[in-house]
Amino acid sequence: MSGLEIGLWSFPALLALIFVRVPIGLAMFVTGGFGLWLVSGINLPLAKLKTETYSTFSNYSLSIVPMFLLMGQFATLGGMSSAIFRAAESWLGHRRGGVAMAAIGACAGFGAICGSSLATAATMSRVALPELRAYGYAGGFSTATLAAGGTLGILIPPSVVLVIYAILAEQNIAKLFLAAVIPGLLAAVGYLITISIYVRLYPGRAGVRAPVPYAERFRALIDVWPVLLVFGLVVGGIYLGWFTPAEGASVGAIGTGVIAFLNGGLRWRSLVESFMVTARSTAMIFFIILGAALYNGFLALTQVPQEISAFVTGQGFSPWTVLALILVFYLVLGCMMDSLSMILLTIPIFFPVIMSLDFGMSAEHTAIWFGILVLIAVEVGLITPPVGMNLFIINAMDRSTPMVETYRAVLFFVASDIVRVAILAAFPVITLVLLPG
Amino acid sequence: MHRKVTKLARFMAVLGGFVLVALILLTGVSVAGRVLNTFLHGSFMQGLSPDLAGRLIALGIGPVNGDYELVEAGMAFAVFAFLPLCQITGSHAYVDVFTAWLPPRASRVLRAVIEVAFAVILVVIAVQLHEGLQSKVRSGQSTFLLQTPVWWNYAASLLGAAIAALVGAYMAAVRALEAVSGRVIVAEGPEAVH
Amino acid sequence: AQDVTLKLHQFLPAQANVPKLILDVWADNVEKDSGGRIKVERFPAMQLGGTPPELIDQAIDGIADVVWTVVGYTPGRFPSTEVFELPFMVSDARAASAAYWQMFERHMKETEFADVHILATWVHGPGMFHTNKPVEHPADLQGMKIRGGGRMVNELLDLAGATPVGMPVPAVSEALANGVIDGATIPWEVTPALKVPELVKNHTEFEGAALYNLTFVLAMNKERYESLPDDLKAVIDKNSGLEFSVFAGGTQADADGPARQIAVDLGNNIITVSAADAEEWRKVVEPVYAKWVEDMAARGIDGQALIDEARSLMDAYGK
Ligand code: NA
Ligand code: NA
Repeated sequence: MSGLEIGLWSFPALLALIFVRVPIGLAMFVTGGFGLWLVSGINLPLAKLKTETYSTFSNYSLSIVPMFLLMGQFATLGGMSSAIFRAAESWLGHRRGGVAMAAIGACAGFGAICGSSLATAATMSRVALPELRAYGYAGGFSTATLAAGGTLGILIPPSVVLVIYAILAEQNIAKLFLAAVIPGLLAAVGYLITISIYVRLYPGRAGVRAPVPYAERFRALIDVWPVLLVFGLVVGGIYLGWFTPAEGASVGAIGTGVIAFLNGGLRWRSLVESFMVTARSTAMIFFIILGAALYNGFLALTQVPQEISAFVTGQGFSPWTVLALILVFYLVLGCMMDSLSMILLTIPIFFPVIMSLDFGMSAEHTAIWFGILVLIAVEVGLITPPVGMNLFIINAMDRSTPMVETYRAVLFFVASDIVRVAILAAFPVITLVLLPG
Repeated sequence: MHRKVTKLARFMAVLGGFVLVALILLTGVSVAGRVLNTFLHGSFMQGLSPDLAGRLIALGIGPVNGDYELVEAGMAFAVFAFLPLCQITGSHAYVDVFTAWLPPRASRVLRAVIEVAFAVILVVIAVQLHEGLQSKVRSGQSTFLLQTPVWWNYAASLLGAAIAALVGAYMAAVRALEAVSGRVIVAEGPEAVH
Repeated sequence: AQDVTLKLHQFLPAQANVPKLILDVWADNVEKDSGGRIKVERFPAMQLGGTPPELIDQAIDGIADVVWTVVGYTPGRFPSTEVFELPFMVSDARAASAAYWQMFERHMKETEFADVHILATWVHGPGMFHTNKPVEHPADLQGMKIRGGGRMVNELLDLAGATPVGMPVPAVSEALANGVIDGATIPWEVTPALKVPELVKNHTEFEGAALYNLTFVLAMNKERYESLPDDLKAVIDKNSGLEFSVFAGGTQADADGPARQIAVDLGNNIITVSAADAEEWRKVVEPVYAKWVEDMAARGIDGQALIDEARSLMDAYGK
């Protein structure tokens, strides 16, 4: 077999491993390492491991991941997550579907300070799931709402997926964050519309509560000020160039940590528990990144990305057809893989393809716009049945709801996502309007 | 036995957590130092008392020297230190839909095979990291600014990598025993261990 | 049909000056001279994985067959090369690259570079400042965070009152854009590939001797080279050594002019420190020499002898 053939065979091999429940990072590690062995002998993968595990784990740009994860833990301990939920609920709770909308609003708010979709879904589920069930919301509707809301964690900046994209595509992180703001808000609005349609179709699946006096509503708003402060400092500081994303994450973690300590939420035991949560997610994410690094090095060596790029561009498809093919590919792939590995695997292949096409924009604008479209496409993957990380995490927290019910309800949110992708693809200006120059 | 190994993994995670917090604080101090340094050089302080400003600057108020490379080294240590807990709690991301229909027996065998493979990989990672450490000792490579030997960073990371390999081997043994005996020794899933 | 495929790995994008004007030329010549029996597969921008400081190990371990790398990315490993990185040491990249090769053969081949087969050694054009605020005197650097590409540059920056930040060159653009650094020390030649003239508006160049320099090597895996049949070894030999080193250093320095023009066209502020005004800078950075000689003494190397030899070889060049 030639290197190219080995490279092409590695795709089905990797998928087969993933389907038999091999952890994703391990599957990529093994496929990449074994592929390198076949192409170049056993010494090459072993020699790579002498320095590459260390250099992958010590990457300065990736240090943002555990920092934001820990910040999310502190925000929960400080009562900031539930404060956001109470504020949203006091304004929306009396409308049909209002509590679900409040959950979306809370996810959006939390997503604004948390960099990870899984962390947002997991954190907000702990707060909002019991509330939703208490208000008489159907199980599947509740879990689907939170699964979709959780994706706002990556859609609304800061976002780990965008950081990874920026590194792979050599783009400016601050500009990508800025470009993600309007699409992220559109996502939240789209989910609110989805909820109102859903409760109109199935009124029995959502409860309402008596309106809250305005005085109490404003009081709930005041409770949110620490969140707004930290959000303003972190996101604003990164945008204004006061600090790097990693520095912003540090400032945010210090801010939420201090607030949590003052609120009495951060003590020895809870600090240790937040280390545990951070440790598990960090190790999980970095092991996927390590596996992807090995697999990507192998793919590069076999020249498969170049060949696929040449094939796609050589077909004479129009740029828009190529873009549509890539986005559909992501929706399909999203049923099987998690967002980070999708980005890590595919951006080195598709990014040069997209950059070689003419969409009537500058190279930088094309890169940023494509990054946002990819971000949304992989995020949809998190909630598309049968495999979606957010679906699994939230369903695991509500054992009384069968998975199939979650699947059915989430399709409404997936539909709203697909409409949004189409709009943003057709009108790049929506994404690019906030960019300077 | 399981209690002891879990304790070790949690200890490493706490160690990594404190290093993470230290890096966060270091970065915070560096940001504060930079902001203050800019302020001391600014027209306000220079107009008020250039002498005082100069003396404060001479005290070293400014960004922390080598913060960038300290974050890199510390982060590698923290990630390696987090691996054992991820291993023992089964927190790695995987896809379970296509294997859900497997009979329990087959499922246990499959899990054992995967866990053994994982342990082998973790051992290889630790051994090769040790190789890398040896080569850094021989070459005498130092870091950019602090000019400390690079092998120190490798040595710190090797601690986590070695314990991860150990915990991986332990979990492989547990799953293999489960596959053979047919009884559950350690419940699966992140929620199972607290 | 080709007998041998060599993987050439390096850290800059394919369209940057060094890959385009030097490495591609080398690769094309090797392919041509071998009658197509050697094929050079080119992997730009660290595509084979790892980070720029790992490149030299990748050549030693055979992860790549040939690498181009900045020697200063691995401080402490190749101390003798630092003689060409001393401040105000180098006036002409061709002369320095020639001297570097001669001294490499005499002092470094069997010692510091014993693990790898070196094909060429060279330096870039004059190293200089690219900053967000104008820098004319050392005092202007007070409190600025400046990226340096190696140990010597960082010491120079430290003496001049700046806060040095060490990072490989591909990280410079994002660091400038994010405000992690206030400026960078790089030669003109690489500024377009890194979009530096768009990110900062001030450039400080020096008449006469360069403020600093970095040293490069084009390195090949040793076993790989030795395993080649004699006629293909001869092809590699023909395209390496003194002549290619001078070509590389000269070509890279010549690329400074067009790159400078881009900054001029953007209307950027270019400060040229005259040879007379450079005295002020020389005084500030003078201690670097004594400290380096001391450092070398600790390693059992006669630093002063290397300095003297480098100077006389550079003076003799072209005469
Ligand atoms: Na976010
Ligand atoms: Na999915």
